[in-house]
Amino acid sequence: MSKDSVKVLAISAVLLVAVLGCQPVGPAATATKTAGESQPPQGAAPKSLVIVIPEDPPSFNAVVADSGYDALAMHLTMLGLAAIDPAGEVYPVLAADLPTVDNGGVVIHEDEGTMDVTWRMRTDVTWADGTPVTADDVLFTYEAIADPETGAWIPGIDLVTGVDKIDDHSFVVHFSSVYPSHLTLFGGRQVVIWPKHYCDPEQGFLNWDCAREPLSNGPFILKEWMTGDHLTFERNPGYFVPGKPQVESIVIKIVPDATVRETMLRQGDADILMWATEQVASNLKDDGSVRVSVSPTGRWVMRLFINLAAKGSTDPVADPNPLFSDVRVRQAIRGAIDVDMIAESVWYGYANPVWTEFFRPPYDTCKMERPAFDPEGAKALLDEAGWIIGVDGIRECKGCGTAADGTKFQFELLTYSEYGEPLILTQQLIAEMLKNVGIQADLSQVQGTVMWADSASQGLEQNGNFEIDLYDDGYAGNDPTDFIWQYYYSESAQPDYGWNFGRWFYPGFDDLIDSAYTLDETERTAAFCEMAKILDAELPQILLFSTINADAYGSRVGGVEANVNSVVSWNAADWTLAK
Amino acid sequence: MTQYVVRRLIQAVGMMMLLSIVFFGLVNLAPGGPLAGYGRARRIPAAQIPRIRAQLGLDKPILVQYVVWLLGNDWMQVDADGDGVADGQGTRRGILRGDLGYSFRTRKPVLEEIWSRLPNTLYLMSATLFVALALAIPIGVISALRQYSKFDITVTTLAFAGQSLPDFWLGLILIIVFYVWLPNPFTGGPLLPSGGIYTIGAPFSISDRLAHLAMPVAAGALGWLAWYSRFLRSSMLDVIHQDYLRTARAKGLPEYLVVFRHGLRNALIPLVTLLALDLPYLVSGAVFIEMIFAWPGMGLLYYQAALQRDYPILMAMLVVGAGFIIASNLLADLVYALLDPRIHYS
Repeated sequence: MSKDSVKVLAISAVLLVAVLGCQPVGPAATATKTAGESQPPQGAAPKSLVIVIPEDPPSFNAVVADSGYDALAMHLTMLGLAAIDPAGEVYPVLAADLPTVDNGGVVIHEDEGTMDVTWRMRTDVTWADGTPVTADDVLFTYEAIADPETGAWIPGIDLVTGVDKIDDHSFVVHFSSVYPSHLTLFGGRQVVIWPKHYCDPEQGFLNWDCAREPLSNGPFILKEWMTGDHLTFERNPGYFVPGKPQVESIVIKIVPDATVRETMLRQGDADILMWATEQVASNLKDDGSVRVSVSPTGRWVMRLFINLAAKGSTDPVADPNPLFSDVRVRQAIRGAIDVDMIAESVWYGYANPVWTEFFRPPYDTCKMERPAFDPEGAKALLDEAGWIIGVDGIRECKGCGTAADGTKFQFELLTYSEYGEPLILTQQLIAEMLKNVGIQADLSQVQGTVMWADSASQGLEQNGNFEIDLYDDGYAGNDPTDFIWQYYYSESAQPDYGWNFGRWFYPGFDDLIDSAYTLDETERTAAFCEMAKILDAELPQILLFSTINADAYGSRVGGVEANVNSVVSWNAADWTLAK
Repeated sequence: MTQYVVRRLIQAVGMMMLLSIVFFGLVNLAPGGPLAGYGRARRIPAAQIPRIRAQLGLDKPILVQYVVWLLGNDWMQVDADGDGVADGQGTRRGILRGDLGYSFRTRKPVLEEIWSRLPNTLYLMSATLFVALALAIPIGVISALRQYSKFDITVTTLAFAGQSLPDFWLGLILIIVFYVWLPNPFTGGPLLPSGGIYTIGAPFSISDRLAHLAMPVAAGALGWLAWYSRFLRSSMLDVIHQDYLRTARAKGLPEYLVVFRHGLRNALIPLVTLLALDLPYLVSGAVFIEMIFAWPGMGLLYYQAALQRDYPILMAMLVVGAGFIIASNLLADLVYALLDPRIHYS
């Protein structure tokens, strides 16, 4: 054999070795085992309940990235003091009961305006290694979150002045002011209690290893995590609720493609498809082997965010927006959009019209009248505001008072590209509808990372570099107060200070928001209803419809219930799996 | 030759430095930022932004960020809480000392993130390349030897089709056919699994691995197969009209020896060079194949990091990718010289 042939063969052999040699490296090298746990389950596949999601949970700490998939994994393994059910009711988890004013658990010091909340914890909950879950773990978690260098912000944490231990299973949280969401400060969708004896405080709350190799006190124990492929959980035999969980093991399978996830559910290779979209719900509704649990109300409200300052400015007083400063224009835009038509044609009938921020229980009691789809009324309002139809059918300012005469009513309607087709179609339909009343909307899409970035990273919204944005947003949990503060408080209009990037200021609205920070539910509801009226009249944002909150599941699974206030795994301990 | 290699290596180091500066600038100067990429929870209050920027190292001027990325910050004081006052020694060692940093999103070391994906990509892509080559070589040879025959015309047509088909579309079609439509006659389940590397929880078996490889390899190999077979056909056509082949035939060598010993061996030389240039694909992966077949590889990692502005992962993957491209170019040149005695570098 010649020298050249040897070389060709050698190169071929290298390739062969690459092919064969890589085989054992795959899963074995990438599997992450929980500290102190045994081998991965062998032959456990048929008994496992399989959940399909598109990407890895960033970690088991939902505070770090809040992708939703972290909350899914977190609620399988970890517990908070209290959680929220689908109806919006808070229920105790690690807590023995919920502290209230009536049972003496909540004490408001009227003189100082401060509040103390005393918690009593269950005494029968242990970590998976047998160590009891105690008040020391709560204090440890608080200190880790509140650490000025390595901690993180969670809603309400800046109002906590300290946490004092009373005994092993009770402690008191001191607040600098009354905070209505105090029950879910160390619980709810995003926060759980972390084990003091297992997590390393030196690593910091956002970075510690125990968020990737968690020590369970919840219904399941992480057994294996092969990054990008799957996570395997097994039943926690020491779970504090007798007889639960009933499912032996759970596999979270990472399947990036939406079509493949849906196909796997249909074929029975997946049992739960988290966050089913409207299209998936529609596709599956006639499939006898699959069910879809749809929340009565969604969380995410599709809306138009209107910049009341001129594009590129953050000062609506010095540089008012020439097109949208006049409230009649905003009312006309709302009247020109046929929400029902969009909901039906693009969102498969699963979108529900929404016209007020206060549409979810328990604060859905303000009976705000639904605005009518009224293109003729919209045209009349625009005429009245001095925007007259021009020769090309697009309105022009003729005495509008907010722009120079002759200015065309033309603006950029921006949305983010990651959402996909339904949002793009919605954007197109809105543009068509606005054109019918003489408004020209030019369509653009950017990545969410550009739209929502902070001002130093050239974020479009924080720097005021937009005219009208279209996307969905809504509050997590059951209390809208912080969400309303972030969007409508005057202080939050400063760049990076909040999300009032529409730069909307209204006299007295700050006081109204402040008045909602009370435990008096009657007072809160009255404040919310007053806010609803002002927002309806002023229209700093135009709310359109809520998108679906649903989870699809196969027929062999029982107990799955979508929870708009949390994620599908909120009641994983109650799930059942038929053989 | 040694002198040439040394010179190329020195050039490669300079090129890598230059590329790293360009990459770092491009990645960081692109509009948008990681603080908005925190899932749908882009709700970070203002007071927290300086702290998070400090925690992620984004509070420094871009030049300082680059120096920290390159050389680390364990030799300087850092401001960990974002209050503008330095409060401790840094802990980063920099890429030159093997510290690729931490992912913004998962807070895991970048090296760990990449290392968990790289073997999977190497496994899939080398199998894909192997299958593509194993089929492309005989197809290319036969096509050339039977130029304009029915076989050649059919293969040419299929090759064009293979190169034109988007792999994500082909992948979905394969899933419909082999996962949804065709049942396994023995188990009644699907003929092939929809994705993943192996059956979770099942004991290791070669047949299980091969079943999981079948569809992603088929979807990925088709494009390469078409490309290599066309290339080899053309290369073979060049060779078979050369004088030395005529001489070989004239001296009475059997046809198979003429074709394989004198023809194919020479026709393979440019293919081997081409192959060396394609080696970076072995580590970069194939985004769409990995996405459709739920294959936890490098392509998917890069795609997700780009969407989420996970700068440390992006930078590491760009630099590793660039390193492989430079190395494979050098390798291609060297292999070419080794295989073709007419080539000399000085």
